[in-house]
Amino acid sequence: MSHHLFLLSPSDTPIYSLTHYSTRLVQTTTSTLSSNLPTWSTSAFAGTLTALSGASSATQSHHVQGGGVRMGGGQDRHVIQMIANASLDVIEDVMRKESAMYLKSVDKFNEWTVSAFITPGNMKFILLHETKNDDGIRSFFHDVWELYLKTMLNPFHTAHSPIRSTVFDARVRASAKKYL
Amino acid sequence: MTSNAFAALAHIQILVLPVGPIPRSTFEKYAAEIRTFDSIRLGDIPSGMKDERARFMPNPLSSGYLYLSYPSHPTPPSHLPLSLFRPSHFTLGIIGIAACSSSYSLASALEQFENTVLDISQDSSTFPLAKVCFAFEDEESAGNTGLGDTLSGIVSIPSMMGNKKLYIGTLLADLCSQILAEFGRMYQVLENPIGNEYLNSAIFPTLPSPSEIPLFQSNLHPYSSSPELDSSGLAPQSIPLKRSSTSGPGISHMASLAQRQSSLSPSVVKKRASAIGAVSSHGRLYKVLGDFFLLAGRTEEAGVWYAEAIVLFKTGQDLVWHASALEGLATISVLDAWSVGQGLQSSVSNSTIKEPWAEVYEQLSQAIAFYHKAPVSSELSQDYSLLALTYCTAVMRQTSLLFCIWSTKGWGALAFASMLQPGSTSYMQKMTSDSSWTNMERISTVSGVSRAQIANTVSQAHGPWLLHLGPHERVTTLRYMASIYSCLGYKRKEAFILREIISCIMDLIVCGREENDILRKSDVGSANIGNRPENGDEVIATGKGAVGMRQNEMVEGNQSILKLLGSACKVLGVDLEAVRVSKAADHTPTEAEGEDTESPSMKDLEDLTNAAKEPFGWPELQVGVVREAIAVAEALPDPLAVACISLSALRTMHSVLASGDQYHLHQTAGRALAVMRRRGDASTVEYWTGHPVTDVALLPLALHRLPIENACSILTAKSSMTNSLLTGITDPFLYNPRKSSGPQGKRLIVQGEPIELTITLRNPYVFDLEIQSIALSTTGVEFDCSPVSAVVIPANTFYPITLVGAAKTQGTLVFRGCIVQAPWGAAKEFLLPVSTDADENLFARRQSAVKCESGRTKYWGLDSRPWEKGERLTTLLPPLKKSPQFLQCVVVPEQPLLRIRWTSLTHGAVMLYNGEESNIRLTLENVSALPIDFLRLSFDDSTIGPAQEALSEGDLSVFETYETEYDLLHRRAFSWRNGKEITNIPPKQKVVLSVTCLGKVGCTHGTTHISYSLVNREHEKQVPTSEVFYTRQLSYPVTVTVYHMLECHDMSLIPMVDVDYDTGGWAGNSVTQVLSEVDDPTEWCLFTIDVRNTYGLPFGVTFQREQAGTKNTTVSSTVPPGSMSRIMLPVKKFRLSDNLISEPIPTLSDRQFVVGKSRLSIEEEQAQRELFWYREELLKIISARWKETNGDRHGDLSLRQQRLTLPMLRALRTDVVRVDLTLVANNPDDGSPHVVDYRGGKYLVRPNTMLYLRVEVANSTSLPLVMTLDLIVDPAEQVLSEGVLSNMALGKLESEETKAVEVPFYFLCTGRFEIGAEVRILDAPKSRRAGASRIRISVREDG
Repeated sequence: MSHHLFLLSPSDTPIYSLTHYSTRLVQTTTSTLSSNLPTWSTSAFAGTLTALSGASSATQSHHVQGGGVRMGGGQDRHVIQMIANASLDVIEDVMRKESAMYLKSVDKFNEWTVSAFITPGNMKFILLHETKNDDGIRSFFHDVWELYLKTMLNPFHTAHSPIRSTVFDARVRASAKKYL
Repeated sequence: MTSNAFAALAHIQILVLPVGPIPRSTFEKYAAEIRTFDSIRLGDIPSGMKDERARFMPNPLSSGYLYLSYPSHPTPPSHLPLSLFRPSHFTLGIIGIAACSSSYSLASALEQFENTVLDISQDSSTFPLAKVCFAFEDEESAGNTGLGDTLSGIVSIPSMMGNKKLYIGTLLADLCSQILAEFGRMYQVLENPIGNEYLNSAIFPTLPSPSEIPLFQSNLHPYSSSPELDSSGLAPQSIPLKRSSTSGPGISHMASLAQRQSSLSPSVVKKRASAIGAVSSHGRLYKVLGDFFLLAGRTEEAGVWYAEAIVLFKTGQDLVWHASALEGLATISVLDAWSVGQGLQSSVSNSTIKEPWAEVYEQLSQAIAFYHKAPVSSELSQDYSLLALTYCTAVMRQTSLLFCIWSTKGWGALAFASMLQPGSTSYMQKMTSDSSWTNMERISTVSGVSRAQIANTVSQAHGPWLLHLGPHERVTTLRYMASIYSCLGYKRKEAFILREIISCIMDLIVCGREENDILRKSDVGSANIGNRPENGDEVIATGKGAVGMRQNEMVEGNQSILKLLGSACKVLGVDLEAVRVSKAADHTPTEAEGEDTESPSMKDLEDLTNAAKEPFGWPELQVGVVREAIAVAEALPDPLAVACISLSALRTMHSVLASGDQYHLHQTAGRALAVMRRRGDASTVEYWTGHPVTDVALLPLALHRLPIENACSILTAKSSMTNSLLTGITDPFLYNPRKSSGPQGKRLIVQGEPIELTITLRNPYVFDLEIQSIALSTTGVEFDCSPVSAVVIPANTFYPITLVGAAKTQGTLVFRGCIVQAPWGAAKEFLLPVSTDADENLFARRQSAVKCESGRTKYWGLDSRPWEKGERLTTLLPPLKKSPQFLQCVVVPEQPLLRIRWTSLTHGAVMLYNGEESNIRLTLENVSALPIDFLRLSFDDSTIGPAQEALSEGDLSVFETYETEYDLLHRRAFSWRNGKEITNIPPKQKVVLSVTCLGKVGCTHGTTHISYSLVNREHEKQVPTSEVFYTRQLSYPVTVTVYHMLECHDMSLIPMVDVDYDTGGWAGNSVTQVLSEVDDPTEWCLFTIDVRNTYGLPFGVTFQREQAGTKNTTVSSTVPPGSMSRIMLPVKKFRLSDNLISEPIPTLSDRQFVVGKSRLSIEEEQAQRELFWYREELLKIISARWKETNGDRHGDLSLRQQRLTLPMLRALRTDVVRVDLTLVANNPDDGSPHVVDYRGGKYLVRPNTMLYLRVEVANSTSLPLVMTLDLIVDPAEQVLSEGVLSNMALGKLESEETKAVEVPFYFLCTGRFEIGAEVRILDAPKSRRAGASRIRISVREDG
């Protein structure tokens, strides 16, 4: 079970990303629809479609990646990023109506649920997760926010520059381990 | 195309087909006419059948409707297993449209129609249930097409028929009637136990072919094409079925059913119920019944049977069918609502707490959940595919429920209309036209459906199961999702789906191509196999070496794929159209200078200023999507698009691209362009790398070629050389506005002579950038410059190149910038304005505005994409000036050119002794074809600068100032003596100039500047007389070495009286000779000076005295190396007039406003002036020269370093009053006085002798003077005298009067004595000594 965290600047540029593999087990509720998928084509474009539709993660074990267009490893990182990016539509929509910082399960796509946290500075923390863990995610987001604020205290750090601090990284990882 | 209407379950699909040779436009016209019938009232349906076919016929006077839809394609054969599960999914009727003419008869039309229908419908298919062919008659062939023949299965419509539409409506009603009748037959088959068994056999059961059901063969004719059900069957009246009363449980109901069906014997029912019915429930049967009723427009019955079915399904775990029944129920609710609200257009109030559509939504949610978790027992991939299709369809149904409510602003008639007939309403278009967030939010509030809800609903359809779907269904599903997201304004999600659509389509294209290959290789059929509506441009990539063939010239398909790509990429912040295809195929420079290129160039400039932009978007995604775009364009293949995309990516994203990616993109673009070129494609891409030219600079001309602008007035004006030389060229103003606006900014180049320009190019990429050609873009005077071709700029560098060109005529030349062309690209002009101060200011302001914006997040998300932001920013920024300034040159007329052909110096060096003069001869040659009529020389040397500096600082005393100025003016290191001799140098002629060089200590180098020009250009009539003319300057630098060999020290002037020249022969001969002329020592003084030779060679020194009243005298001496000689020369005393010495020390430079800085008192100043003037006079009298002893080099020895002191002045100046001292003794013999023996400047006396000192004072002035006399005796102790010796009154002496005073003296001992006499003028200051004299006395015993 994995979690994907992205810190997005107001211009949709990721300034930090984290993939966290949780040791907790997830109860697999796979639909019959997504089983027994055909390998219907071998062209590179079919690979793209397979990845984007989420089929590759559903049939990870026996699906052979063939496309040169694909990138990333494991669960397709590019697709994860696409989903995170696409969820911004809903997040922006919701955040204009509601003033809450924590948007719980704001979007769902393929097997992913998207939760978001919006700082007053219009920074968006986006977490892709598969299971419900409302309290954990809330605490995690608050931790990350605090860490982010501490990073932003650095006068040389702007809202658009990527966070490369190892301390930040280590603390976010620790928090992820604790809550997710 | 499958319609995604919400109420598709209630739609009877009718396929409209062209038959025979019918023009497309004609077909479209008739088809459109048919398609206007989207519903038919039940009352219009002819229902004349009595048997089982009448079961689904409408009740007479019933008020419902049949809903028709007209898909453009038949249902694919792979969907056949759905035929019982969802009959509405299939084309139930087929209408053929034929255009009959004289050449095309009805019979042949019918035959063709039958064949076409056979082609479309599969062997095992139940559908279509009914078909009819409409034969429309041509206007021109009216009457002779054999319309009279009545063939069954074809209806001919004559052209003269008036109300065709009404007729078509009737015909459609007939067709529907047939379809309804066939429903009855189908149901009859299913109703019997075997049929039911088949119905329950699988998850998606099919009826076997008729041959396998022998029992009902006689009754079943659905597959036969016998057209017995024509309009003639209208007559029998229908049997009304009272379904409303039969709401009991299944079995009894079945029984009652069976009783009424004449063709179904009760025994069969019983048998089925006992034997087979035990295993199979009737749930599916009821559900099919419900489906048919729904299609037949009888919603009431349908609802009843669906309910029955659901009751049975609840226990039976038949999830899929259960879900389908739920969908049917949901459709019924909407249909009922529609028929209720049909009349009133006002929306139904939704003030109730629960939304009215909530129940429908719930039903659909349940259905979707059932579909989602339905188990598939068989391993058949078909079942998966169909289940996925039903699932997606259900999701789309639920989405369209929400979307229709949302887009029509609430649950109302409009919503129902759009749910029933999505094509007839244009809410989708309306939505997309106004997609502002506020508008959408308003709609959400009004309708009670939030956009997120719709998006969440539609996203259920997205999942791995998409892979189960067939290609066509997949594209349809994705397309639907994309359009929903688009309408909701969820651009990123739309982009996500668009990428999937593109990969779907591309996969089809690629696979289709391979399929085609195989087909062609095995020589089977035509290549036009494979239904690919999206791809009009099938370039068949055959195997290696084969020639690709384009079978279809349509490019719309490719273009629309690329358009899709572009819009998907734009959402991610990648502008694939940053580099466009250049408009003009033939790119000539003249076109590039056209008006339309003006604006892009200016935009480039703006881009340049707005260079500081913050990044937008997700770099990894952007790179990924660009790669994918290139892969798509390559697969199409569209090399132009490949080039455009890769170059656009390079241009806009090179900051985030890794170096490997940059290489790859560059190579890809190059390859694509090469392919295009090979194929003879003439279109080219724009120049793509941002602004490559960072700077254009005019290399300064060589100094000897540089023309200098001069005002014509200096030709006539008297040259004020002295002034400029003394003061230097200093601007008296701290800020001189004329100076900056003057010719300083103007660059001068000469007509016809080559100039060099340096263009600095920049390559920000990691690869070497190749540029095909660079040319200058100029305006104004014609400029002849060949472009540079094939430049390779190394990676990540600034790279200067040099262009050489020449202006053809005189005037103004403006360098606007460069025209740059990439390999195989179009040329583009880049402007390079020269920034003035104002521009700089503006630029800085813009920069700060951009910087101010950059940290803010006022606009976020998609609003912060670079192009959106740029537009907003431009409104904030101060506008750029309309006309930028460019590099400008003044081209002056042709100028003569002079060169130094030969000089008398070797290595341009001259060695001089101090004070020596030497001539430098310069041979000049006019190498041009123009004569020179103006020649002027000016000189510069290393002593001028420091002297000028010292002068301008003004710290020098008046005397020093004079000396410095004298040095500058009268002792120049270089001079041209015969300046007026040469003025004309004809073409190709030589002249010799002679420049005099004077050795001055401290001079290390000097320069001769030769300015020349052709001033009189009378022969060029067209040139107006201008105020300026241009000169060129030739400089000849000379290195000067001056040896300082003789030094003069210690000039002094001694009164001759003091000179003890009784020294016999020790002095040099010359000295004794010159001393001999001294007749009266008081009239003379002795000038002495030490001359030291610091050099290694002996020099002869000659001092010459030229004094009025005396003959000229010279004194020579040879000064050996390292030694010093004293030169002595008697100078006759003189006196300058009071007028002269009271004059101030002159300044040679005529400087004004010289503030006297001296803090001297009047007396001191007077003394200084006196010293000055006497010194000047002395230097006039005495001149010194030197001469090399062993050679003939000679020169002047300057005495100007020597200072005149006050004692020297006294010695030199003749006193006002002449005092003569004479020592007189009385003759011991006769007592008569006689002058004591005087020898060697001394009086020789004996001690203890009475002597008289006679003092004769003569007033030599013209005024009477009252004087006193002082006598000073030294040593005074040994001398006795009478009376007082000081302040002896002499009284008043008239002019030229002489008075004598005698004072007795008595020397007490031997020794040397001195007696001095001083005459003072009474009432004058003490120091003012009018006259003095001294005698020396030697008192000896031997006297």
